[in-house]
Amino acid sequence: MPTFETFYLPDAGEGLTEADIVTWLVAVGDTVEVNQPLLEVETAKSLVELPCPVDGLVTELLVREGDTVEVGAPIVVFDVDPSGAAGEVSAPDLRAAPSGADAAGTDTSPPTFSPTFSPSDAASTPVQVSPSAASGEGLEERLAPAVHSPAPHHEHAEPVGTYAPTHEPVHHEAPPAPSSSVLVGYGVSASEAKRRPRSVEVQSPFHEESDAEIEHPVFAKPPVRRLAKELGIDLSTVSPSGPGGIVTREDVIQHAKAREPRTLATYAGDDQPWLESGIVSADGRMTRVPVKSVRKRTAEAMVASAFTAPHVTVFHTLDITETMDLVARLKKDKEFADVHVTPLLIAAKALLFAIRRHPEINASWDEQRQEIVYKHYVNLGIAATTPRGLIVPNIKDAHRYDLHTLAQELQDLTQEARNGTTSAQAMQDGTITITNVGVFGIDTGTPILNPGEAAILAFGAVRQQPWVHEGEIKVRWVTQLALSFDHRLVDGELGSRVLSDVATVLGDPTKALVWS
Amino acid sequence: MDVHGPLSDDGVVRLLTHTGDRVEHPVYSRYAEELDDSTLRQMWREMVVVRAFDREATSLQRQGELGLWVPALGQEAAQVGSGHALRPQDWVFPSYREHAVAHLRGVNLAALLRIFRGLEHGAWVPEEHNFHLYTLVIGSHTLHATGYAMAMDRDGLVGTGDPGRDAAVVCYFGDGATSQGDTNEALIFAAVNNAPVVFFCQNNQWAISEPATRQSKVPFAQRADGVGMPNVRVDGNDVLASYAVTREAMDRARSGGGPGFIEAFTYRMGAHTTSDDPTRYRSKAEEEYWAERDPIARLEAYLTRRGALGDDFRAETEAMAKELAAEVRVATKSASKPPTSEIFDHVFAEPHTIVDAERAWFERYEESFTDAEGGH
Amino acid sequence: METLTLAGAINAGLRKAMERDPKVILMGEDIGALGGVFRVTDGLHKDFGPDRVMDTPLAESGIVGTAIGMSMRGYRPVCEIQFDGFIFPAFDQITTQLAKMHYRSRGKITVPVVIRVPYAGGIGAVEHHSESPEALFAHTAGLRVVTPATPQDGYLMIQQAIASPDPVLFFEPKARYWDKGEVDVDAPFTVDGASAAMSHARVARQGEDVTLVAYGPSVRVALQAAQVCENEGVSAEVLDLRAISPLDIGAITRSVKKTGRCVVVHEAPVPFGAGAEIAARVAEEAFYHLEAPVLRVGGFHSPYPASKLEHDYLPSVDRVLDSIDRVMVH
Repeated sequence: MPTFETFYLPDAGEGLTEADIVTWLVAVGDTVEVNQPLLEVETAKSLVELPCPVDGLVTELLVREGDTVEVGAPIVVFDVDPSGAAGEVSAPDLRAAPSGADAAGTDTSPPTFSPTFSPSDAASTPVQVSPSAASGEGLEERLAPAVHSPAPHHEHAEPVGTYAPTHEPVHHEAPPAPSSSVLVGYGVSASEAKRRPRSVEVQSPFHEESDAEIEHPVFAKPPVRRLAKELGIDLSTVSPSGPGGIVTREDVIQHAKAREPRTLATYAGDDQPWLESGIVSADGRMTRVPVKSVRKRTAEAMVASAFTAPHVTVFHTLDITETMDLVARLKKDKEFADVHVTPLLIAAKALLFAIRRHPEINASWDEQRQEIVYKHYVNLGIAATTPRGLIVPNIKDAHRYDLHTLAQELQDLTQEARNGTTSAQAMQDGTITITNVGVFGIDTGTPILNPGEAAILAFGAVRQQPWVHEGEIKVRWVTQLALSFDHRLVDGELGSRVLSDVATVLGDPTKALVWS
Repeated sequence: MDVHGPLSDDGVVRLLTHTGDRVEHPVYSRYAEELDDSTLRQMWREMVVVRAFDREATSLQRQGELGLWVPALGQEAAQVGSGHALRPQDWVFPSYREHAVAHLRGVNLAALLRIFRGLEHGAWVPEEHNFHLYTLVIGSHTLHATGYAMAMDRDGLVGTGDPGRDAAVVCYFGDGATSQGDTNEALIFAAVNNAPVVFFCQNNQWAISEPATRQSKVPFAQRADGVGMPNVRVDGNDVLASYAVTREAMDRARSGGGPGFIEAFTYRMGAHTTSDDPTRYRSKAEEEYWAERDPIARLEAYLTRRGALGDDFRAETEAMAKELAAEVRVATKSASKPPTSEIFDHVFAEPHTIVDAERAWFERYEESFTDAEGGH
Repeated sequence: METLTLAGAINAGLRKAMERDPKVILMGEDIGALGGVFRVTDGLHKDFGPDRVMDTPLAESGIVGTAIGMSMRGYRPVCEIQFDGFIFPAFDQITTQLAKMHYRSRGKITVPVVIRVPYAGGIGAVEHHSESPEALFAHTAGLRVVTPATPQDGYLMIQQAIASPDPVLFFEPKARYWDKGEVDVDAPFTVDGASAAMSHARVARQGEDVTLVAYGPSVRVALQAAQVCENEGVSAEVLDLRAISPLDIGAITRSVKKTGRCVVVHEAPVPFGAGAEIAARVAEEAFYHLEAPVLRVGGFHSPYPASKLEHDYLPSVDRVLDSIDRVMVH
């Protein structure tokens, strides 16, 4: 029975990759012997005659003279057992369904001629090939039979008969996929880049599983260490989630996030929440904000003031409708077109009038020198809420200003405070302060003195409320005023009179004319 | 042909002309008398068989079964002749072309091909044949041979007078090797230590593409004069003369007379290796000239003329040659890739942490593929 | 216990080995009557004779090549290459023959050759007398490469090298030849396990903050640097490798896993030197323990300079401290 072997172009000279077919020294149908000259090829190094590798019959020449062929490509097929002749069955057309009954009758679709027979099906082949030998990548695999005729026991009912040389190429087993190793006789291989699938990870040669006995604080790779350093995080406080207790990048980021302050806006439009600089506790239930700059000073001031000067606060509720009307009129006044006119402006002016009548309120207690210092000027402080906290810039020599100028000053002061550009000097040497709690809708409060001052006026919200006006209940604009004062130098009567005067002017602005 | 240089046959010892006629030599004839017809027939047979092996190996390479082959074609007489002058207790340090000597020392020729099939670097146990592994670095082994001879000397194997004990080393190398520093150092060490080593230079006239005139201006035997070492030139294609000069030199060495140098003037009838193309550097005329001086042909002619080579013997020899060739073919084609673990074997004689770690890693690596075969 | 110089200790070790095994022979230039240019073979020619202490021709390749041949017959040759810079003529015999003989013969041939090489600098010598070529040999599979830093180790390791069935390059730091140290000359010596014994690193100094890996002449420099930085509050551990092939990777990584920092010190040029192998191994095995990259202190990528410049070229205490500073800053 015919047994076919394919011969592949060998590497004739240590690393050649191809050769030109020069001359075939045999023809199809020739009987050949081992070592008989087979063909001549031209390599990069020389003209080489290749001897025949088998005894048998030349079945097919797969390349032509003049072809350039790669090392490892099939070039000729031999029938190494040609004595197994064709017999009754004629050469089949490879594409036709086999004729004759399918004795088993199990499969009605015509069996196709695909050489599915494995070498082990066949009877053993002549001595040149031992496919059953335990061979690795031995060349015998490359010379494995392309197709075997079936052993009698084969399942296919139809004897497929012999293969006579046809014009169609017989299906050849390709040489085994070239591995990366250099095969003897086949020189350098050009393997396609592909990955062989892995099932398991393999550690490095000197890998030691357990570091248990070695004491070391933290496992983390260099980029992670750097990240931690940049974020100011102590790696030993980070819970590791990597294998074997490795701190990963994610671990560090998580840790950092957990410490991020919640951005709390303390009020609408608060675009620079002071909690930003805070650190959220590990349990997320509190934020610690380092006391810095403004807040620190505020706190210091509050403490200094609250625990030094005995504070008393007096309150007064009044009908401020006249002032509101005045404000409305001034807003339409051409002279005041370039400034903001607010009730606070009038309140400021009212306080200035009150101070004029009671200059003793514009003073401070010098504990060190045990003196009361009466100021001959009024540096009117306006308590301002800024993103950085409470500041009290003052309008220097406010007592000199007419209403328009005062309005301008007040406006500038407010603007600067909002911009955060209030100078340190502006905040120094205040003599008295107004705090406009009304802006927040608050009626009144017990303000704390600005250190170095003797009084502070809280101007509450202005609301429409029912009021007894000229003997009748009317809807009037009503507000509350509160004046806290330093009882060391201001007694109740002074404080009350001052507040009363402020209220009087606010209640009836024309009173200012009278007192001027 | 140059008259007096390394390509001349100036002063060669000859006992058998290329036409197969016996000639006499005042010094060496007596050694030839030790070779009776039976021995000569045997030598002829060995040359024929080895040549058949050699041709088969070349074929196998051309058929993709070997990566490389190094033909000894044309040098059979130098090797068989000198080989016959060796005693079992002598030691041989070959280069890489001494297949005939290997055969005489009992090395399995099919096994030898494993080296060229890429299966291992050395294919026999030197101590089992007193035949060292092939050395591919040109000339390096001349020092090993010398050191070995020095050791033999220290072991009391020299000059005892006991032919069963006295031993020497023969070191084979080519014309090219005589240029290597190591070869020259070996001559020096051998000379000053009076080492029992015979340096056998097969001047086959070509070191790949370089003629011997590129290695020397004078015959190679004269190199030994430089170190005060006895030396002789011999017709390397004359198996009788090759035997005779080797016999003399080995006797001298074994008896404590020190080293000797033999230059066997022969011809590399084939290519340097199967990768070589001699058509690029030597002429057909030259090859034809030396074909007429074929070592086997002249012995055959001599024996035939004397009626000492019968048809039966010839037929038997031919059959043996064919059989060996077939055996070698089968053995070679069925010889398969060794297990990859062999990469790591014998790097050191004792455990070495790096090698051990890499071996273990590679094993795990190979097993980690989803298509990994169990147990290899 | 005896106080011996390194040269004297090696001499004593050679003597012991030669007494123990008659197959041990010495070969080299001027090792006989002269006793070697560093007197390491002093007195041996007189006591053991010219057959066992051979003055050879001036041919390094010849020395190693014939030693190979002798070892194939069961002898244990101990070759001396007179100076490190002269090993190169023998490079071929060492790397293509000596290193590969056991492998290529599948273990059938052993070549127990020891090649002793005075190496490294610091003695004000002329060219080719101060080289540190150990990496070239460590890179060649089949060779063991060892180097003692102390007289005690010199005494023991030369015997272990001779007892080992493998070829050994035995690098002797010539600048330390005259250093004295205590040597236990009566310590029991076993041939078994000799290869392993000489392949283990020694902790020359315990420490917590940084591991200094050194060998041969650089062990002393490393110890000095450790002393200085101790006073500055940095605790350095010093490892004396003793063997470069095989590298005691276990010892190195164990130490670095503890300290998190590693500085290698050797006289050989830094580029492509033994330190590169150590750094790569440490990075691979102790990656997650590292606080800083592994740094190497060594010679520069230039031929060994004229001797007036050698102390600027060689790793000094300050250069080592510089690297310690850099790893501590991370």
